[in-house]
Amino acid sequence: MIELAYLIPLIPAAAAFVMLFGGKEDPHSPMPWVGIAAMGVCLALSVSIFWAAAAGTVALPYEHNWHWFSFAAQVAGKPFVYDMPIGVLIDGPAAVTLVVVAMVSLMVQVYSVAYMHGDIRFKLYFAYVSFFTAAMLGLVASSNLLVTFACWELMGLSSYLLIGFWFEREGPCEAQKKAFMTTKLGDSGLYLALLFLYAKVGSFQLSQIYQFFDKGYMPPMVATVIGLGILLGAAGKSAQAPLFIWLPDAMEGPTPGSALIHAATMVAAGILLVSKTYFVFLASPTAMEAAGWVGLITAFLAASMALVSYDIKRVLAFSTVSQLGFMMCALGVGGFTAGLFHLTTHAFFKALLFLGAGSVIHSVHTNDMRQMGGLSKKMPLTFVTMLIAILAISGVPGLSGYYSKDMILANVWNHDHRMFWILLFTALMTAFYMFRLFFLTFWGDDRDHEKFHHAHESPALITGPLVVLAVFSAFAGAGLNHNGLVYKLIAKPTISAAATAAPAPGEHAAAVEPAEHSSAHEAAGEHGEHHEGHLPPWLHLTTIVLVLCSITLSFFLYRGPTYAVADAVKTSLAPLYTLLERRWYFDDFFYALVVVADKVAALAFWIDDNVVDRVFVDGWGLLMRIFAQLSDLFDNVFVDSAVDGVGGLGNDVGVGLRSLVREGQVQEYLMYAAIAFSLAATLILTR
Amino acid sequence: MTLSHYLIVAALLFLIGVFGALTRRNIIGILMSIELMFNAANINLVAFERFLHPAGSAGSALALFIMTVAAAEVVVGLALLMAIYRNTDTAYVEHFNLLKG
Repeated sequence: MIELAYLIPLIPAAAAFVMLFGGKEDPHSPMPWVGIAAMGVCLALSVSIFWAAAAGTVALPYEHNWHWFSFAAQVAGKPFVYDMPIGVLIDGPAAVTLVVVAMVSLMVQVYSVAYMHGDIRFKLYFAYVSFFTAAMLGLVASSNLLVTFACWELMGLSSYLLIGFWFEREGPCEAQKKAFMTTKLGDSGLYLALLFLYAKVGSFQLSQIYQFFDKGYMPPMVATVIGLGILLGAAGKSAQAPLFIWLPDAMEGPTPGSALIHAATMVAAGILLVSKTYFVFLASPTAMEAAGWVGLITAFLAASMALVSYDIKRVLAFSTVSQLGFMMCALGVGGFTAGLFHLTTHAFFKALLFLGAGSVIHSVHTNDMRQMGGLSKKMPLTFVTMLIAILAISGVPGLSGYYSKDMILANVWNHDHRMFWILLFTALMTAFYMFRLFFLTFWGDDRDHEKFHHAHESPALITGPLVVLAVFSAFAGAGLNHNGLVYKLIAKPTISAAATAAPAPGEHAAAVEPAEHSSAHEAAGEHGEHHEGHLPPWLHLTTIVLVLCSITLSFFLYRGPTYAVADAVKTSLAPLYTLLERRWYFDDFFYALVVVADKVAALAFWIDDNVVDRVFVDGWGLLMRIFAQLSDLFDNVFVDSAVDGVGGLGNDVGVGLRSLVREGQVQEYLMYAAIAFSLAATLILTR
Repeated sequence: MTLSHYLIVAALLFLIGVFGALTRRNIIGILMSIELMFNAANINLVAFERFLHPAGSAGSALALFIMTVAAAEVVVGLALLMAIYRNTDTAYVEHFNLLKG
């Protein structure tokens, strides 16, 4: 089945085009089922690949390339032919991610059939979703960084289209522009990094670039520059600090579209890109450390902002940013497996959270949690599935989020204890704000009677995907963690050059040592990684207890019916509250930055207009004009008079000579002819 | 008698012809001077043949040819002269100034 892997991105792309150009736009169009069927086939293919990989019947990584194009170029005077193949590269992380993406996209599409029912651009929405998913699958499966980059940009386009789906309103328009421009800022870094990489390696093939790094040909300085460029791109796409500002606003799109952006596509792409090019980071401890800190800061800032938001989707958006921070931090501290494991589990429970929130919004027609409350009675299925997702994201033992977050915390603990405490605090905030959302929405009494009265459970097309995703949210973690399957599938890449090239600090050398040591026994690197993936027992227990405490605190503050304590806390910490509500002034900062940039641009324009144009361009022109006039004068006076003089001389001589001859006297003509002839003959003969 | 003697005679004859052509006022005299120049050329041709290519006959053949052409030319010239004389009543060339340049 793995030979058919190239079909996985192509099928939804074809479906997207069929839906885009086929049929007529109609609020009850049957077209969406084309996309759903295509995604079903994709999912079946992905699952078969995953299953074969998990059972070990197929050797990963699987790579197959086709000829795409080649070009000749002169390098240092010698002709070279560069080959650019196009192909698929399915390694362990790709096998897992394909399943996750296809699964979440399928669920989102089924859900959307009910959610988008009756929208005037019903069919178009599904075309966008299919196209979006196709781009993401292409990014995951591609063996070539150029194709990956193309898919990356196609996703940027798709996210722009989906966020601004309801472009008649001002909010989505502003949000789509913000998202596009912010991610493009990051993409510029990625673009430069790719150019640099190609200039150095001469290939975009991941396997060849890996060889280059593995042999230690890449100087660490260059690796650092490339790594930071990739990190900037990933920060734009995966909403890392300080470029996360677009994601909370991206809520303006349709809610299932948000689920897709937050769970399966878009934001996962940044993390995946870092994991695809992980060898760059392995070669550069600086870039690695930067990724770790960026992730950590993002996780902390976003979680703190989620504490004060009342918009249900916005809380989820901040939680996505925060969880992505967790993943980036994990990758940065060397927890490759942990980061991608969390990406997987997060995809399921975050898709579930968004679809659940969509179900709630569909039912009460508001995003404001202050107008909800007590919905557990009205929407039992949504309530139960949301509870599972919230328990999972909070890291309550047994559910998927617990395993992956625990692994991340363990990796961070083994890397740096300060980072661990910040991240643990962030994890506690996560539990707190997720339960705050839960209690405000489902617990207590109805606060808005009219909205409560009209609330109802969503149809089966909406609750069905919720149940499926809830099952995965509950069991994906345990299933993947069973017998160390996740370590086998998502094995951390290594580069042999790193140990020798990098001046190993103490802990680094220590990390290499036991791996070599244990290779004498069975299961070489696995043992070492398992060690990294576990907290000391006392800390593990403390973590669980603290999470439960955090949930309890949330319960006492937000269980209702009055929120006196919460309000008291809010007023007593007013400055902090404002800081969080203003999102740490990041938006204001960027706005100010844009304003300043605009002013600088205006100044530069003025200088260009008044100084550069006036003095240099116009001055040069004036100088040239003066010079031309001088030249003209010279031409008229000296050159032309010389020309006229020569002509005039000939004329004068002719006229003078003619006056010697009387007109019509043939004999005189003849005489002069004879004289001229004899003179000429004399001259020729006496030479 | 060498080639030079013949050539000197021919050159003198030619110069006499030139002088006559430039100085005679009567057009009959000018035509006669031109005939002298033809004959100077003929002497040259025959002398060159005699001294340089005694076996050949091209020089004397060309001389004969020139004599024929000269005779024909004089016929045309005299006919023109008759025509001009009838119009102008004079045989002096300074009066033949109808074609002013």
